[in-house]
Amino acid sequence: MRNFLVVLLLLAASRMAVAQQSPRITVRGTVVDTANAVLPGATVMLLTPKDSALVSFGRTDDKGIFQLKGMRRAPYILKVSYVGYLPLQKDVAPDNGDVTDMGPLQIKPIQKELLEVVVRTAKAPLSIRGDTIEYNANSFKVPPGSTVEELLRKLPGMQVDGDGNIRAQGQEVKKVLVDGKAFFGSDPKLATKNLPAEAISKVQVFNDKSEQSKITGVDDGKKEKAVNLELKESHRKGGFGKVTAGAGPDSRKQMRSMVRGNYNRFSQKEQFSVIGLGNNLNQNGLSWNDYQDFRGSQSFNWQDDGNFGFSNGGVFFFGDGDENSLTVPISNGVTNQGFSKNYAGGGNYNYDTKKTKISSSYFYNRADQNFDTRTDQETFLPNFTYQRQENSRRYVWNNNHRATLRLEQNFDSLNTLIVVANARFNNGNEQFGSNQDFFQDDSVRVSRTGINNQSSSTTFQLASTAIYRHKFRKKGRNFAASLGYNVTNADGSANQQSVNEFYRDTTLAGTLLPPININQDVISSSLRTELKSSLFYTEPISKKVVWETFYNFSIRNDKVDRDYYDRTSDVARVRNDSLSRYYTNDFFYNRVGSSLRYNNKGFNISGGLAALWFNQSGRFAGDQTATRFTTVNRDYFTLVPNASVTYDMKNNRYLYGGYSVDIRQPSTRDLQPVVDNSNPRYIQQGNPTLLPQLTKNVNIGFNSFNPASFTQIYFGASYGWILNQIVYNQLVDPLLVTRTTPVNINGGSTFNTYVGFGFPLKKTKATINFNTYYGYNKNPLYINSELNQTNSNNYNFGVRLDLTPSDKFTFYPNANWSVTDTRYSVNTTQNQRIYNFRYGADMNVKLPFNMYFNGNLNYQIYKNPRFGFNQHLPILNLAVYKLFLKENKGEIRLSAYDVFNKNQGITQQAYQNFVQTSQVQTLARYFTLSFTYNMRGLKSQMRR
Amino acid sequence: MNAFRPFGLILLTLFSFTAPAQQMAGVVSYNRVEYWTKIYSRATYLSREEKDRIQQTFKNDDGETTKMKLLFTPDQSLYTYESEQAQTDDGRYSWRHSDYIIQRNFKDEKKTEIEETLGKTYLIEDSLRAPNWKVMNQIKDIAGHICMKAVTEDTVRNQKITAWFAQDIPVPAGPERYFGLPGLILELDLNDGDVLITATKIDFKDVSKDVVLAKKPKGRKLTDAGYDKLIGDYIKDSIKGHRFPYIRY
Repeated sequence: MRNFLVVLLLLAASRMAVAQQSPRITVRGTVVDTANAVLPGATVMLLTPKDSALVSFGRTDDKGIFQLKGMRRAPYILKVSYVGYLPLQKDVAPDNGDVTDMGPLQIKPIQKELLEVVVRTAKAPLSIRGDTIEYNANSFKVPPGSTVEELLRKLPGMQVDGDGNIRAQGQEVKKVLVDGKAFFGSDPKLATKNLPAEAISKVQVFNDKSEQSKITGVDDGKKEKAVNLELKESHRKGGFGKVTAGAGPDSRKQMRSMVRGNYNRFSQKEQFSVIGLGNNLNQNGLSWNDYQDFRGSQSFNWQDDGNFGFSNGGVFFFGDGDENSLTVPISNGVTNQGFSKNYAGGGNYNYDTKKTKISSSYFYNRADQNFDTRTDQETFLPNFTYQRQENSRRYVWNNNHRATLRLEQNFDSLNTLIVVANARFNNGNEQFGSNQDFFQDDSVRVSRTGINNQSSSTTFQLASTAIYRHKFRKKGRNFAASLGYNVTNADGSANQQSVNEFYRDTTLAGTLLPPININQDVISSSLRTELKSSLFYTEPISKKVVWETFYNFSIRNDKVDRDYYDRTSDVARVRNDSLSRYYTNDFFYNRVGSSLRYNNKGFNISGGLAALWFNQSGRFAGDQTATRFTTVNRDYFTLVPNASVTYDMKNNRYLYGGYSVDIRQPSTRDLQPVVDNSNPRYIQQGNPTLLPQLTKNVNIGFNSFNPASFTQIYFGASYGWILNQIVYNQLVDPLLVTRTTPVNINGGSTFNTYVGFGFPLKKTKATINFNTYYGYNKNPLYINSELNQTNSNNYNFGVRLDLTPSDKFTFYPNANWSVTDTRYSVNTTQNQRIYNFRYGADMNVKLPFNMYFNGNLNYQIYKNPRFGFNQHLPILNLAVYKLFLKENKGEIRLSAYDVFNKNQGITQQAYQNFVQTSQVQTLARYFTLSFTYNMRGLKSQMRR
Repeated sequence: MNAFRPFGLILLTLFSFTAPAQQMAGVVSYNRVEYWTKIYSRATYLSREEKDRIQQTFKNDDGETTKMKLLFTPDQSLYTYESEQAQTDDGRYSWRHSDYIIQRNFKDEKKTEIEETLGKTYLIEDSLRAPNWKVMNQIKDIAGHICMKAVTEDTVRNQKITAWFAQDIPVPAGPERYFGLPGLILELDLNDGDVLITATKIDFKDVSKDVVLAKKPKGRKLTDAGYDKLIGDYIKDSIKGHRFPYIRY
């Protein structure tokens, strides 16, 4: 009992003692340097020992004393820092008193050299752990290929003598460790002489033996200086690739197959890629993903256009010899008509550093195309009507070699040079055979034409530009100059044969025309060269106003030589002087323009004017040896104004509008005074007096997008009117031969307006989008020399739904209704209304066992009641695929294209004076089983 | 939510020492660089191939720089764009920055923030709550001042934040929404290098007039908690909708 009382008393006493301890304490102390002088203004911090969380902080006063009051009673870490000194860390264990006095805290200065060189000059961060200082070797510049020895020479406090012996802070370094481990024995020179400096990420110098053994786990037993080198993680480099192969039968029991693959190797500075594809599925280009994987950092270069200034319609079309583009073709998923076999392959190399970028690529593609077409056409002329039926076959073979070279050099932050060259070499063959039957009024055959043509051509095309950009010291003052050289050289030879038979006299001459046989050779060569240059200068007038001026210049020469020979027998031929042509043309083009731009608080308005002048002087005759040439010489001058306004109203709303004049030069083909009679029933002739087409356009628009509520709304309107519109004047003679030639005509105008909005029905699960469109077109037109005015009104309404209820099911249905009303001023019997309805849907389902299903439907309905057209075209594609292998690197897929076999290549058109239905034998339903392997793993395509 | 602590306690101890006034007020100019190929690589719904493709294609265009400024006095700070207009590198084209002003009053423990984001302009007025900092052991030189490293975490955006504060400028101010360290924050690293805000120069001068907002700010009122919820919800919704949750970091 007594013991119990004693215990109680003791307990009570101790309790009281504890109760006297306040829950809050004050931590204080004095900060001094190594000479015990006080340091005022040092920063003092209290951190929790567990995770160094900052609890409180303060500064020392004039006497070097600090006091941190009101601290919770608990252990802390006290941290003292002062510029130029090593930060000090000390544990704080509060005793029973209210004040914990740390006493004088001595801090040591950082070695001056270390501070100046490493921290201030090299901007490298220092890590301090007790007495160990670490710094980042990355910030020291040594020439590539240097060894660690050379790197150590640069570090302050380190001396490396001629033999490679290392002294750190005056003391000899006996040990060099790599990642904490001895490197090839105990000779420090082995590491420093053999390791490249680029591999090192950190250099640690140990001053204290205790730290050293703690970190490296190597008990030295002696007080020695040691250096530990930490290696960098291997540079970001690697490779990836993907290959797909598949095959299957089509509805004609023929095999359809495809193979596609690419491989990429890259490091920090370099990228090398190869790509290849082959298929007979009518796919001739790369997808956007494949294109980006192929070209890498050079996929999109926005600054490579050397044509400075607004409204660049003054630029000539280039390369309208064949339809192949100068750059790598990209297929947008649309399958082409007919049947084609495609092969392509290429390689690309990029070298990218901040100062220099070099890129070169080569791409080859070959397409073999086959078109089997049947056409039914009815033409309405003022006095009579006639019908045409045609069966034709066309084979086209094309080989293209493309090469690209690009160099970008940043001399310094103010000067940049870009040089780009694209070249293409093409050779191709074409074979065309057709039978055309002509009927007039009462379905009695009037005439017939059989055609058998062969042609082959080679084209070489080069487009090169050099752009130099200079920024002056004053921000906003810039200068740019560009120089370009383009060449297209095309050679072709063709043999045109046709038999034209007449069964009825349509000329009312009283006699029947005998059959006309044509057997002609056409040898053509054309050379186009263009040299152009542009200058550009901007000057900031004030903080809100910028003034821009530009000058474009181009000189271009065209030379076309087309020789027609009439074959009199299998070996002999006579020159056809009336059809042969030799034509040269010189264009001398100048344009100067200027504009002012005002920018303030989101309101951006600009206005400018350009003056354009060109001189065209050409001459043509039957042959270059002719004594008399027809000359074309004209000067053309026009003013091109330009205005635009954009207003950034806050919160993602934008208002914009403007006025612009777009100049479209007539294509070279339209300008050339040559006759194209490869179809003797449809003869095309160019017009060298064609003027450029000017389209004046005024437009206004608004859009707003709210990212939080996923809603958007946009609307706009635009009106344009055309001066010197280029239209094709068609004349049909009594023999039912159509001759067409381009002419300029005034009076076309176009207007359109659209509204769209979208909002979520249930956020992240369902979104709906609406859009409506109205437009009208007024076009003048000559029909057999009679002026017609065509007015067409188009009304369009569409809905789109994005349903993504879960990760296992997504559904994207859409519908679009369009009505076009066309009226002719003269041929009112041709007035028609066309209905175009389109229903589509995309569906994705996730099935068990890592399998997925995808279905895509595109149902088009085309109705033209006037001519009894009623086409229903449901194209349904289905696929089932399974991902397998580690990390989903493999995929096996079963696909069906055009399940209903409706892709029959039927098109129906009704123009100003004719109605036509044509059908091209096209790849329709086919199935494939394909396998894909992707080194980086595949992903299911559940979401768009 | 960020962990908070009462700010006043810290401030009391700070003022036990008077420093020469000229070192305690001025303007800091920052370069704010956004590495958006890195930001895109954070999207969970993109496959490795898609992220790699973005990296490879746009690696030369990365690193978009915006100029910001921070006015500071011992009592207050104001952080916003250096000029209302953004400009292209060559000065040819400029456009409006969306509203972004962060004002802090350390003495009264209040903050006022104006931010145009997610389709609306918001006004956040609330009391000051400092982030939970951990002070580390690295020092480095930024704009001529030796700075020490501190880290914290943004739990709303799920990001790791690294700040370097100057040892010789004892003002608890900093860029973006971060403050509360024993020295002026001269460098801020958001989410391991996605966005880097680095001071380029410091002008010591009197800014007591400019460090307060000129006129009464307009916007939808929100508290700190309301703002965090707005951002948190948006990020969740965007990731679910496979839409990139792009908001200002």
